[in-house]
Amino acid sequence: MQKPNEQILVVEDDAQIRNFVCFALKQNGFAYTPASTAQDALTQLVTGQFDLMLLDLGLPDFDGMEVIAKVRSWSEIPILVISARDQDTEKAAALDAGADDYLTKPFSATELMARIRVSLRHLYQAGFMKMQSSACVRGLKIDFDKHLVYLDEHELHITPMEYSLLALFFHNIGKVLTTKSIIRNIYGSGYGTDTQALRALMAGLRRKIEANPAVPKYILTEIGVGYRLVGE
Amino acid sequence: MTEMDQRKKRVPAQILITIGLIALATGIGWGFRRLSFPETNIVVTYILCVLLVARLTNGYLYGIASSVLATAAFNYFFTSPYYTFSVYDPNYWITFFIMTLTAVVTSALTTKVKQTAWIARQNEAETSALFQLTNRLTDAVDKETIANLSVQTISEILRCDAACLCFQKNGSPDSSFVQQHGMNRQVRREVDDTESLRHRIENLRSPYDVNAEFYDCPIYGRESILGIVRIPVDTARQMTDAQTRLLHSMIESIALAMDRFISAQARVESNEEAMRQRDRSNLLRAISHDLRTPLSGIMGASEMLMSLTRDDEERYQLAFGIYKDADWLHSMVENILNLTRLQEGKLIIHKQPEAVEEVVGVAVAALSKRAPDRSMIVHIPKEVLMVAMDARLIEQVLVNLLDNALCHTKQNDEISVCVQVDTRSSQAVFTVADRGSGISETDLPHVFDMFYTTQRSGPDARRGIGLGLAICKSIVAAHGGTVMARNRADGAGAELVFTLPMEERADAETK
Repeated sequence: MQKPNEQILVVEDDAQIRNFVCFALKQNGFAYTPASTAQDALTQLVTGQFDLMLLDLGLPDFDGMEVIAKVRSWSEIPILVISARDQDTEKAAALDAGADDYLTKPFSATELMARIRVSLRHLYQAGFMKMQSSACVRGLKIDFDKHLVYLDEHELHITPMEYSLLALFFHNIGKVLTTKSIIRNIYGSGYGTDTQALRALMAGLRRKIEANPAVPKYILTEIGVGYRLVGE
Repeated sequence: MTEMDQRKKRVPAQILITIGLIALATGIGWGFRRLSFPETNIVVTYILCVLLVARLTNGYLYGIASSVLATAAFNYFFTSPYYTFSVYDPNYWITFFIMTLTAVVTSALTTKVKQTAWIARQNEAETSALFQLTNRLTDAVDKETIANLSVQTISEILRCDAACLCFQKNGSPDSSFVQQHGMNRQVRREVDDTESLRHRIENLRSPYDVNAEFYDCPIYGRESILGIVRIPVDTARQMTDAQTRLLHSMIESIALAMDRFISAQARVESNEEAMRQRDRSNLLRAISHDLRTPLSGIMGASEMLMSLTRDDEERYQLAFGIYKDADWLHSMVENILNLTRLQEGKLIIHKQPEAVEEVVGVAVAALSKRAPDRSMIVHIPKEVLMVAMDARLIEQVLVNLLDNALCHTKQNDEISVCVQVDTRSSQAVFTVADRGSGISETDLPHVFDMFYTTQRSGPDARRGIGLGLAICKSIVAAHGGTVMARNRADGAGAELVFTLPMEERADAETK
């Protein structure tokens, strides 16, 4: 179902990483345009047609966060953020600002390609997903109409809260959801940023869907950022 | 001492003044009688004379003596029978009595006023001398200058060639001291025997130490003896009490100035040290930080090379070697970064209640990614366990412990992570255990030491730099927990245990 030659804008100031990312993209059948500064990237975005943007947060001219905000003001293009390791808050902020996913340096090309595919699939399925009556990830199945969840064909007894949490993840398969955005979605915007209730809710849900909650197969923790439902 | 001498010298002069004035008053009285003025005038003249005596002499003695003398003279010369001490008219006794009394009181009062004025003058001189000294010392920038200024000021005030010997930080005297030489010149002189001098000064019981040339007065600082002020013996012997007092006040000022200088110096030094420390960590961090990006490039590129070749080709092996080494370098860079942050004490721990299973899960997932062919057994409590911690750092601890276990075990050796609650001490106990060969007795006490690496590993084994477990210890300690390493009781293998206190939860809830 992938269209050939999706155009990907690679915004990265380090030549070595840019080269290797571009090479990996070429290997995997993507078309790409490299950009080394935020200014360059914005110009490219305005003039060209792109399906996805890879954005390094540490650019020489602009703050990555500003770039995301600018792009989001007129485009829904998926943004995949690449960041250094110890920038948890920045990662979460980037996701909240509108980035779709993030990768931490150093990352493997395999990982990068997988994330790009997830983001692109999202783009195509964005409208489609909402209309579906059910979704399935490996043994875990959700029925949106009946509000039911099945694990390996057995119906699970889950609370309405756990259902809405799981439904949120099924609507964003493969995508990292920040703690903040999950709380806003589940509890409403007035709830603040108290993560403890969410952690307890998540622990309860994991005890129902995971064989060992400490080695989760479905919903993975991204420490300091949020959670992700793993697709494939 | 000199005050007494001076007084003695002036005794004949003062007696002379007393007698002369009485004689003068008698002469004037004689004239009055010849002119047939009333006797009252003569009495008043005598009282004036007593007042003058008190004014011109020192102490009460002359005033009182002159009062008595004046009365006697009045009696002798001006009351009948003249030129005898006997009196016909008994009324005169009243005159004598009142006259003596008036004269005594007058002289006493005058003397008193004079003494007060003298003390005031003394105090003023003292104050101005001290002021002069402190004023000069304020601008002094080092100990040397303080010594020079002190010597100059003391010499000026005591009119002598004073000297000052500074002591070093360790309490031993400098090898030379500075001495005033004439009005505007200072010379440096060697100290003959610093050790014996030090010994004498340290065991001093009196306020000064006397030797052939000088009286040595120690300058006592807040913590130690800062130096000695040396006053030439001749001057010291002649000093008045007031001058001695003044000298001690000046020494106090010098001590204050030196103390101030020393503490300023200490502050500068500690600032410099902190600055150096910061520079060093900044440098280290900048290097580590800048290493990450090229390492990412190397890892990515070698990975691409691997994807371009078949597994059995030599090129694949070479690319794989590059990848592995870059990965190892990367984890070392991360460890160094963490370590510098921990050592700086700047690592801010954001403690908040976290689900233990999530942190363990993330650490296990990270290790599974690194070593996909190894399996790990994970045990967590049935109930959700929330412990206050900095999740990022505890993840690092678990990753380091698991990494350590991976390094010291063979392919099929079992590795397990287990979390339990010790309700008695209210602690969460994390155990990373393996079925490897265990830890040797010689290594056991040192595994958490920084830069400690075991000597046992084979020639091919990847050497660590002994940071991983040291970092674990620092992080856990910062959380208020403990770390421990031991060999398993139930068979072969090692067991690394760390605990985190759980009572913080209650605190968080009450907030």
